Amino acid sequence: MALPIFDVTTDPGPSFQNLLKKLNIPLSVPGATDDPIHATTVVALRCDEGVVLVADRQATAQAIAARDMRKIAEADRFTAIAISGTAAAGMEFIRISQLSFEHYEKMMDETLSLEGKSNYLSALIQEVNLGTPFTVLPLVAGFDINHNRGRVFEYDGAGGCYEKDDFGVIGSGTPFAESALRLGYREGLTLNECIELGALAIYEAGDNDPFTGGPDFVRGIFPIVVTVTSDGFTEQPESETKAIFEAINQRRTASKGRAGGDLR
Amino acid sequence: MTMPFYVTPEQQMKDRAEYAQKGIARGRSLIACIYNDGVLFVAENPSASLNKISEIYDRIGFAGVGKYNEFHELRTAGVRWADSTGFRYSREDVDARSLANVYAQYLGTSFTDGGKPLEVEVLVAQLGIRNKPTKIYHIAFEGTITDETRFAVLGGDSETIRTRFVAEGDDVTTLGITLQRAVRALSGPDRTLPAADLEVARLEDLGNRRTFTRLSDDLVGQLLA
Repeated sequence: MALPIFDVTTDPGPSFQNLLKKLNIPLSVPGATDDPIHATTVVALRCDEGVVLVADRQATAQAIAARDMRKIAEADRFTAIAISGTAAAGMEFIRISQLSFEHYEKMMDETLSLEGKSNYLSALIQEVNLGTPFTVLPLVAGFDINHNRGRVFEYDGAGGCYEKDDFGVIGSGTPFAESALRLGYREGLTLNECIELGALAIYEAGDNDPFTGGPDFVRGIFPIVVTVTSDGFTEQPESETKAIFEAINQRRTASKGRAGGDLR
Repeated sequence: MTMPFYVTPEQQMKDRAEYAQKGIARGRSLIACIYNDGVLFVAENPSASLNKISEIYDRIGFAGVGKYNEFHELRTAGVRWADSTGFRYSREDVDARSLANVYAQYLGTSFTDGGKPLEVEVLVAQLGIRNKPTKIYHIAFEGTITDETRFAVLGGDSETIRTRFVAEGDDVTTLGITLQRAVRALSGPDRTLPAADLEVARLEDLGNRRTFTRLSDDLVGQLLA
């Protein structure tokens, strides 16, 4: 490819999506398959230190297609992006988002603001969802370094972007995860309490929604737990997520599977 | 009817080269050098925001001297080339040599056919990994590529600075010593360059996918002390 030089009137600016259009490179959202892989549960919670995200690992077609999917990605140092919906489109969506933010940063010598990123994705969702039969819905959560606080953004299928001041949930297990969060969330939760609550919400979703995977003690696969604080994006080590889910599981075993009592 | 003067092709090229060289000579110079753990870029640049050195890709850095708007355009074109190539194929396929070639192609064409020759010199450096070596490619205003083995000097006074830098020693050494040598070569014996007048960046594996980092004035001050 020759050097992509544009004149001032046709310059695509720092947008990677515009650049791809100018270069006639299609957004490679995959073609139709009979069995779109879908369904997921991801939660994001906001607290004073930042945000916590927890995501299940299962991809479901007619049967379970994968047990170790990673649905949360580091879009950049202070931004996490999670996906639900068609897996292939979702993975592509994450790739394009990461590249877009990095492209902007290199072109402008400045990082895009968290709000700028969340708005940029609206247009991308429209393009991906309206142009193909597959849908993908992201959840964006990060630490806003300009305003020094954690923020969570949810989307609808047409690209509408909604900021949540407490928590956001996406995926087929939403009713169960959201119920757990609604009962357990309160102002002033610490980061660790948010991790516990988020893990509980995913446990509930995995327990009730056939398209969401809970902790898999047999294979040693556990939901992914991520925090984004002023120190940046951190994925909790597997030993810790294992301990968190083992604790929930022990409590559940003791209560013979009943979730009641003081929310466990 | 007036007849245009006949200008020989030799004379035409000479005039254009002279024009470009004059433009480049007006700016301050820059050194890129391989050190123990990567590639160091040091530029004399009093501006803290109009950069001469920047990131192109995970393991590729860029530096330019001459007319700011012209090398800035080459820089953004390089970022676009790299990001779209990486998107279409894979991140591993984005290679400094290919980028140096497209820069050379563009500069060469602008020099011979364009309206005005570009008054810039650029370099592309790559931090090596596995089968790819650490490399510095220097592309001159007329599109000549030089594959530099250890270091490159760009800008007006490049011959003097090159001589001074060679006299500092030809071993590959630490970041700190390389920086001190580069700054001494840039400043010459009669003046000292404070950290605030320097733009310093490096390509080094620090555990991240992206290896380009800028060195803050504080860190540069410490390394020079």
